[in-house]
Amino acid sequence: MELLNQLFVNPFVDMVAAPDFLLQVLWEGLVSGVLYALIALGFVLIFRSSRIFNFAQGIMVVFAALTLVGLYAMGIPAWISVVLTLGVMLMLAVTIERVVLRPLVGQPDIILFMATIGITLFLIGFGELIFGGENKQMITSELGIPTGAFELNPFGGFLLLEQKDITAVIGAVSLVIGLLLFLNKTRMGRAVRALGDDHQAALSVGISLRTIWVLVWFIAGVIALVTGVVWGARAGVSFALEVIAYKALPVLMLGGLESITGAIIGGLAIGILEKLFEIYWGQPIMGGNTETWFAFVLALIVLLFRPQGLFGEKIIERV
Amino acid sequence: MKKLTNLAVASAIAVVTAGAAMAEGLNVPNLTYRTGPFAATGIPLMNGQRDYMAMLNARDGGIGGVPIEFNECETGYSTEKGVECYEATKGAAIVTQPWSTGITLQVLPKTNVDQIPILAPGYGFSPMADGRVFQWAFNMPSSYWDGASMILNELGGGDLSSLSGKKIALLHLDHPYGKEPIPFFEAMAEANGFEFLPIPVGLKEMQNQSAQWLQIRRERPDYVIMWGWGAMNAGAISEAVKTRYPMDQFIGVWWSGHDADLATVGEAGTGYRSISWSAPQPDAPVMADIRKLVFDAGDSLAAEDELNSVFYQRGLVISMILAEGIKTAQENFDAAEIDASQLRWGLENINLTDERLAELGMTGMVPPFATSCANHTGHSGGWMLQWDGAQFVPASGHLMPDSETIASLEGPAAAEYAEANAPWPVNEDCEG
Repeated sequence: MELLNQLFVNPFVDMVAAPDFLLQVLWEGLVSGVLYALIALGFVLIFRSSRIFNFAQGIMVVFAALTLVGLYAMGIPAWISVVLTLGVMLMLAVTIERVVLRPLVGQPDIILFMATIGITLFLIGFGELIFGGENKQMITSELGIPTGAFELNPFGGFLLLEQKDITAVIGAVSLVIGLLLFLNKTRMGRAVRALGDDHQAALSVGISLRTIWVLVWFIAGVIALVTGVVWGARAGVSFALEVIAYKALPVLMLGGLESITGAIIGGLAIGILEKLFEIYWGQPIMGGNTETWFAFVLALIVLLFRPQGLFGEKIIERV
Repeated sequence: MKKLTNLAVASAIAVVTAGAAMAEGLNVPNLTYRTGPFAATGIPLMNGQRDYMAMLNARDGGIGGVPIEFNECETGYSTEKGVECYEATKGAAIVTQPWSTGITLQVLPKTNVDQIPILAPGYGFSPMADGRVFQWAFNMPSSYWDGASMILNELGGGDLSSLSGKKIALLHLDHPYGKEPIPFFEAMAEANGFEFLPIPVGLKEMQNQSAQWLQIRRERPDYVIMWGWGAMNAGAISEAVKTRYPMDQFIGVWWSGHDADLATVGEAGTGYRSISWSAPQPDAPVMADIRKLVFDAGDSLAAEDELNSVFYQRGLVISMILAEGIKTAQENFDAAEIDASQLRWGLENINLTDERLAELGMTGMVPPFATSCANHTGHSGGWMLQWDGAQFVPASGHLMPDSETIASLEGPAAAEYAEANAPWPVNEDCEG
């Protein structure tokens, strides 16, 4: 009976008793969710255009953030460092296409996946050689990102909204809208989508595989930079940022590997639901730390009913 | 053909040289992590260890005239890789330095068979203090239970009964290291009537601890004690600042007192404390030797601003402890080249007095302590360091743990370990 109370009564009583705290939980979940969605988008874009599951997305976040703070440390002004970092990510995209992907065209998907593991290991070693492994401070205020907080008093309680979290949400939403406009309204964007829908058909109408691969890897680099700035502003820039990319895996399982909508909705859903579950069920009943597994269990439940994820395409293959 | 001949000659020379080096040097491998999520806190410690040995090689030609072979094996703080590193380096090694409580726990049973001492200064399994049971393991100068005891003494103003009715949260890495002090805190909570609330932080949540700090906001603990490492430290301190948790009620163990972690919040972290068995002494004579013989000579991997940090100088102390163990063994066995079992004798007969620390040029960098056959920890005590907005400064006199209480818990825990891992060799002859 006590367990039933803990499962079905107490959490909702707590929510009603402290609505300001519930709002804080939802806000923190939303911020996490937006960031998960952002990382998942990097995976989806590359998968859609090349059927490659990019294992290197996490280390690209680290590499982009380290490049930014490294350039700034050399005395280059903050926003010029951002532009130069984007240049570095473009060079990285060109190099990956030329050196890694082009020689592997036509190889099975697993070979390309293994190649991205190779890219990960290279970037870890190269990044540590150039920048070292120490924790570095993100240049948050130098980029003009506000660092204060809004203190609100809903329901007579207390709600704290960090300005850098608000900036992160606005930045991530703007990036997503920009990406959607690019993919739907521009010629290159449509080429990316066409390649995702049907490789052979896209090639037959003259779409350049090489150009599109460079483009999507560059976009993934831009997403990595934004993610790195946002996460780095929270707790510094170090190789620990790579771990955050693994949080995108259940988002992809939930939303579907090919779906941009799935990445966004999956990210938000996981961000908010894992926070609600942790605070109202995980901590009181299981001693906490349920965020490490909750999203995977949720994604597995969805996969039981929809193997392609909530928004993924159903793949039917003739055998 | 000529190239092949050159290659063969070069290979032969390399093999001979390596063999000679193994034969002539004191092989003391270090299982490091300069890569991965924990590199930020590992690097300064390992730089300090490396530089102290390099200084001894440059200044004294090693220890007792024998050069030190200080080789690193990269684990990335992964327990699996750590065990591989142990196996790869144990051949000619006279000691193993596992650098993770998880790796220490895995290697612990192997050392009885391989007969190589584990040196885990200030980490590992706290009951390793009992040298009768853990004959090959050393965690001097202080164990985690020592650290937990000193923190509670500080919070209670020396009287633990004053903590009755209080709520104390332990924000800890969800890893063997982070869980290590839990049995001690639970016992103390039961004995002294305070509520103990463990709050785990998963490896993937280290940089996003909003859920843990929401729990802290809801539970309103009187104090938060941190057992963090790597990116967890900076993440927790950032969240504490964000949630306005009073910094003077937030205390970390010695691995949660890294200058670079606090630098991420700067002034906002003022008041945060960390118990520490080492203290940086920028003007210590040993630092002059390190600068002259290693740093200025371009042999250090450390950055200039790292040299006076808590972690770099703790790395120096750790290597000094090992060097003292080697020197003690060399003197006792009247041999410059010692083996692993002789080093074990040396490590359990260290007597680091104030006078000896002064001779080493390290006064104030670690409290004096002595080990024995039965006492592999030394229980040196430590100091409370406090972040002043720019650096850690001493905030207490010399503090000591509650040795009687700790001993009453160590003995049964060591016996329980031996029983669970039977047949486990116990040295019944060891008395002091």
